Amino acid sequence: MTGAAANFAGWLAADGGRPDAAGPDWLTARRHDALARLGELEVPTSRQEGWRYTSLKALLEQGFVRGDAPLAALQPDALQRILIPGLDSHRILLVNGRYTPAGSAPGDLPKGVRVGGLRDLLAQDPDALRERLNRVAGTEQSLFAALNTASLDDGLVLLLDRAVCLERPIELIHLSVGQDAPRVAQPRHLILLEDGAQATLIERYLSLDDALYCTNAVLELSLGRDAVLKHERIQMESRNAFHLTTLYLAQDAGSRYQGVNIGLGATWSRTELLTRFRGEQAECDLQGLYLAGDRQLMDYHLDVEHGVPRCTSRENFKGILYGKGRAVFDGRVLVARDAQKTDAAMSNRNLMLSASAEVDTKPQLEIHADDVKCSHGTTVGQIEPERLFYLRSRGIPAPVARRMLCLGFAGEIIETLSSEALREQVSEQVGQRLESAPLS
Amino acid sequence: MLSVKGLRANVGEKEILKGLDLEIGPGEIHAIMGPNGAGKSTLSHVLSGREGYAVTAGTATFHGQDLLSLEPEARAQLGLFLAFQYPVELPGVNNTYFLKAALNSIRKARGEPELDAVSFLRLIKDKLKILHLDDSLLKRAVNAGFSGGEKKRNEIFQMALLEPKLAILDETDSGLDIDALRVVADGVNALRSPERSMIVVTHYQRLLDYIQPDYVHVLAQGRIIRSGGKELALELEEKGYGWIDAAEQAA
Repeated sequence: MTGAAANFAGWLAADGGRPDAAGPDWLTARRHDALARLGELEVPTSRQEGWRYTSLKALLEQGFVRGDAPLAALQPDALQRILIPGLDSHRILLVNGRYTPAGSAPGDLPKGVRVGGLRDLLAQDPDALRERLNRVAGTEQSLFAALNTASLDDGLVLLLDRAVCLERPIELIHLSVGQDAPRVAQPRHLILLEDGAQATLIERYLSLDDALYCTNAVLELSLGRDAVLKHERIQMESRNAFHLTTLYLAQDAGSRYQGVNIGLGATWSRTELLTRFRGEQAECDLQGLYLAGDRQLMDYHLDVEHGVPRCTSRENFKGILYGKGRAVFDGRVLVARDAQKTDAAMSNRNLMLSASAEVDTKPQLEIHADDVKCSHGTTVGQIEPERLFYLRSRGIPAPVARRMLCLGFAGEIIETLSSEALREQVSEQVGQRLESAPLS
Repeated sequence: MLSVKGLRANVGEKEILKGLDLEIGPGEIHAIMGPNGAGKSTLSHVLSGREGYAVTAGTATFHGQDLLSLEPEARAQLGLFLAFQYPVELPGVNNTYFLKAALNSIRKARGEPELDAVSFLRLIKDKLKILHLDDSLLKRAVNAGFSGGEKKRNEIFQMALLEPKLAILDETDSGLDIDALRVVADGVNALRSPERSMIVVTHYQRLLDYIQPDYVHVLAQGRIIRSGGKELALELEEKGYGWIDAAEQAA
């Protein structure tokens, strides 16, 4: 193995992940292509713009190896611990990256919807995904996407036929349970909505303990003409975990994507959102909220490409940092020469609760068209003493008052979640995290 | 219930309060009037515990406790309430949630059981009725995007809910038109009781047409220079504050 492939040999080694592992021939060929690409890529260093503030050293040192993705027997009460009371969903469970029918409850699905595990679907219908998989991601994948493709094995598949509307949300739970050695799971999720289809997808990354593991997820999302997808992602990995997401999104004319990214867990977390428009008058809304405390890095990279006219994008990320928490926001909006009447607004606001927390924020607009409405803004600030005093003057103790103000700050993003049950759960988690936060 | 003696306070290097004395008994309403820069807001802030002021001399005793040594929340828990001249906007903090947190913090500090959601909502409804307010403000974030009148009404509503023993109304009339002023004053009057004292801080006599004080004090250059009944307010209105400067110069 050459290039970056050599550095990540352990990620590729075991049965399921070998480029010549089971699956249709076309898939084997794709894995080989990705492996070849890995041979050409190098492990990024801080000299590369996208990795200037984030080191891969800690991740490489863990020596993660790909598991055989055994179907770990879940404790009977495990499922009860991770379900959100009051959230009525079509549930798909992945354990350590592998689709697990035992904990899944897809329920009654309308005609024209396919939901399930990627591996299952390929076993039943080997050619079903031939033209679809790897299409939005393309072949020029970055390191971690290429690693995922070279190991492509399982994940969520959600296919909606033309004009199909799902009322209840699809809930994807990605659960990691402790194993004998530090393992990496590389789920691949494929979400395709044909013209006019509508759905809500809730994606949750969880762990039952504080195990050390790595998740390297890749998502490919494609929205047909006038399709609508609400996509709510909750990263609540174990506090020792490493988490990577690379999300590729392509939108046809008139489609609407509303994404919410909540980052609470993991010791090291990097999310790349790569979106582009294939047709006019499409809207892409990316909301984000992250909390970073001691021993925690939250790293977000947005790459929003306006290549056609009359599309709208919003990027609104907020962060709360405390202790020695670190965050990176690297947002880029590119407006091509032909993308007239583009409407784009990017914002990144950070609330710093301690002097030793750090955020590197870098919103960028790259505009080649002349008739556009684009803006960006970024703030890094502290809790305003006026606000704190107002609450305290009403009898509310200072620590509670600080927490209320932080939750108020986070509330703008939490409010965008579509289900009351999920909003409550996220608020509660944020509140709990802030309760343990050293406020100085 | 409140006894202020020889209070001196600085903002930075500058002395604003220069030996202020004030005695307030239960159920009394005291108006404190004075020109801009006399120290009216500084007095409100020092009593409620806002940062940025250094007390250099004097005492303030509230219900037998040394008020100045207490954190702002402890003062509120003891029964002190400040209606802000400029109520602070708290985007993202729901008003109902805020009111419940405030009330329950105070109850908890007093060793009373916290109210559950149902009892709390019942209480809120009662208080709204007393003040003739509707519940539209409750669903919004605290003061966020409120008009001037809405903000002041929200202050009075908090006062009704928290039932303080001593309320300081800091220039509650500022920025209000006559209708809004009447609504706020009616609210304050509805909350008058033999157990509740108030300090009404104002620049203008106008507010005192609606809230009748028992005593009026003139605050100038950091001290109370004259005290009297409500007729003193009328005298001030007639003569303006010019005579104070003259009197100070003479002294």
